Amino acid sequence: MTGDGPTVRISATDPERALSETNAAPDGVFVVGSTGAQALEPLVAVTREGRTAFHARCSPERVAELCARADSPEAAQSGGSDAVVDHDPETARLPVPELPGLGAGERTVLGACGWRRPTSVADHEAAGGFGAPGPTAVLEAGESLRGRGWGDLCQDESVADTWEAVRDTDGDAAVVVNGHGTASDALLLASAPFEVLDGAAAVARTVDADRIVVYASDDDEHAVETVREAAETYPEPPAAIDVVTGPAEYRAAEPTMSIEAIEGNHRLEARLRPPGPEEAGLHGRPTLVHTPRTLAHLAVALRRDESPGTRVLTVAGDVAAPVTVELSETATLSEAVDAADLTGDFKAACVGGQFGGVTRETDVTLDPAALADADLGTEGSVRVLADDRCIVEFVGRQARFASEENCGRCVPCREGTTQLAELLRDIYGGDYDRDGIEELIRVMDTSSICAFGVRAGRPTRTAMSAFGSEFEAHADGRCPAGSCIEALEAS
Amino acid sequence: MSSEPHETAEAPPLTEEIAPGTASDPPVGGDGPATVTVDGTEVSVGADATLIDAIEGVETEESVPALCHYGREDIGPRSECRTCMVETDAHGVVPACSFPAEDGLTVRTDAGAASEARDVNLDLVLSDHNLRCTTCGKNGRCELQDAAIEQEVEEPRYGVLDDRGEYEPLDDTSSFIQIDRNKCILCNRCVDACNDVQVEGVLRMEGSGQDTRIGFQSDVDTMEDSTCVSCGHCATVCPTGSLVEKGIEDATTIPLPGFNQKNSVGTAYESSGKSKGPMTPKKREKRATTDPSPSDDATETGVWDDDGASGGDWP
Repeated sequence: MTGDGPTVRISATDPERALSETNAAPDGVFVVGSTGAQALEPLVAVTREGRTAFHARCSPERVAELCARADSPEAAQSGGSDAVVDHDPETARLPVPELPGLGAGERTVLGACGWRRPTSVADHEAAGGFGAPGPTAVLEAGESLRGRGWGDLCQDESVADTWEAVRDTDGDAAVVVNGHGTASDALLLASAPFEVLDGAAAVARTVDADRIVVYASDDDEHAVETVREAAETYPEPPAAIDVVTGPAEYRAAEPTMSIEAIEGNHRLEARLRPPGPEEAGLHGRPTLVHTPRTLAHLAVALRRDESPGTRVLTVAGDVAAPVTVELSETATLSEAVDAADLTGDFKAACVGGQFGGVTRETDVTLDPAALADADLGTEGSVRVLADDRCIVEFVGRQARFASEENCGRCVPCREGTTQLAELLRDIYGGDYDRDGIEELIRVMDTSSICAFGVRAGRPTRTAMSAFGSEFEAHADGRCPAGSCIEALEAS
Repeated sequence: MSSEPHETAEAPPLTEEIAPGTASDPPVGGDGPATVTVDGTEVSVGADATLIDAIEGVETEESVPALCHYGREDIGPRSECRTCMVETDAHGVVPACSFPAEDGLTVRTDAGAASEARDVNLDLVLSDHNLRCTTCGKNGRCELQDAAIEQEVEEPRYGVLDDRGEYEPLDDTSSFIQIDRNKCILCNRCVDACNDVQVEGVLRMEGSGQDTRIGFQSDVDTMEDSTCVSCGHCATVCPTGSLVEKGIEDATTIPLPGFNQKNSVGTAYESSGKSKGPMTPKKREKRATTDPSPSDDATETGVWDDDGASGGDWP
């Protein structure tokens, strides 16, 4: 797609905003999606003859200037750029510059992000996309593919067994692409929607589905708009593709609640299982629910004929800007943390989403088994806590969030999260009942209907073991981080 | 919150406007007749059975309250209270009321994790329940009270809802049914009875988290303003004193002078007096506008119609 002249790519989470209002993208200027490294945005990449110069954090004026002088011979050389990369002139993936957040790990599943025009059929075709692999190849790839994220019906499990279950169930199957609420999934929908749809199409063919529904949060407007356009232009889809949004609430990403939202229920609560959606899902039909990450991994694995062996995850929290990176499963948490620009010294990380595990150890590898052994989550999200953070306050807020945001259906979650928040508050009054808290969290874990309640106690459970002395200090009226003074005085 | 109906693929015309606010659960029973072993005793159950059917058929080692379980008509399983957790050899700890009775499964009621889960969950139910039994019309015939006695609960771990400042007002507006949400355990039986059995579409589950409550599909605040026909099915299935028939709301209270159900809660929505019969004004209005030829089903409605022809005002 390069042609003879230079190519200018403008990459941003919301690219339209990076262009000045009077300056729509001129010829030779491509508006592409975010790379995942928001701190660099808007990022302008000027490419000529296999060499790309990157310009970070460009103002609309700077964008206009770079577009205007793209034709000059020195444009792709350096010209005040932040990084320059030499690469294969025909590359369909982002040539990775040594810029903060982009240099980390590899970019296979994320390769399209910030390089290909998200809704360009030609760009995706040039990258080898829109292949239509047969069921045998897809099932084989599924053997070694584990579902990504809590929105995936097969989180951390091999997806192929569930595909077989759907194939064995009578009724027209449906495939739900659950992109709700997770930064890395929203990134894929906005920057590489065809990768996601390729995965969905491959699964739909394999289970003979007649409906694909892409589901995302009302809040991710840009991602929704982009994937809707991509769905409309997808060549020869194996099933009708709809794009549906659900309320911007954390719980709405839970697989059965995503189905409830797609069916149009005005109130979202978890469904009982078994049988799971693979037998009785969307309108009672056998239904698969996979995240964009799972499906993009599948698409890339099918195209390359091998699993990329990577994890896509987002580092947020006490960082200058959230960054989404792709790291090898054999990499450690520390590599993820290092990809972000921390706003203070590292104290701990909450690993695995809203209800992840709190740890100070970053030598854990990113494969799901190692994370599970360390009681950490595999959500694809790492929240960094800097050294001025109070851990008791942090897990107290997570517990309160859980008590406010649960669907209200089952007692261990609805009442358990409320009592958990109360028990944590009692610590401020000098009453630290660790056994009682552990008992409650155990029961929430064994008896909640869905993953929300199962995991809502994990931040507290892990923090009590990693930062036990901070809990005891609060019971003695001290906050080591110095941030709970008022709360302690009040009680 | 909108009250848009819950779309379902094959909803019959009669129910397509009903929006109970609950999830469309899959059918949860077993595939066929099964024999399971409960605490060492083999039990055979029919197709569609869940583990609670097997458990109810034997003398178990430990009691399984299964508070929200009803097991009749089209009501439940809601499986919300999780006081029916049991341990299985193949699937770990599961809720007996909504887990399929799989042939060959071995179930224990006395396994530590299951026993702990039932105890803690019962205490969690009590933590959000107004335990004013002595002024409750269901005193002595309350399923929650029975379970607490059976489980020998002396002091619930998390206390009870005894902060009167947090109490919801009684809904005393209907002439036939009183609602005390402070006693509600959200078992959803009333919602199923109202929607799935009576097909009246009055009650619904609404809100989330601690705000989850039984409300009205017509988005109103009180029973009197709802579209209730006073069939009473909700009160019949209510396990606690949350929905009781008027006139007997103080029937089994312990006669302490000056104390009754109403003043133990403190505040109440009172009837406006405009409701003269079992059908609320709104329901009568709805009938009048949506039913062009009421005479067609006069046999059905005649009994309850309180226009002049059928006997005037209800007492």
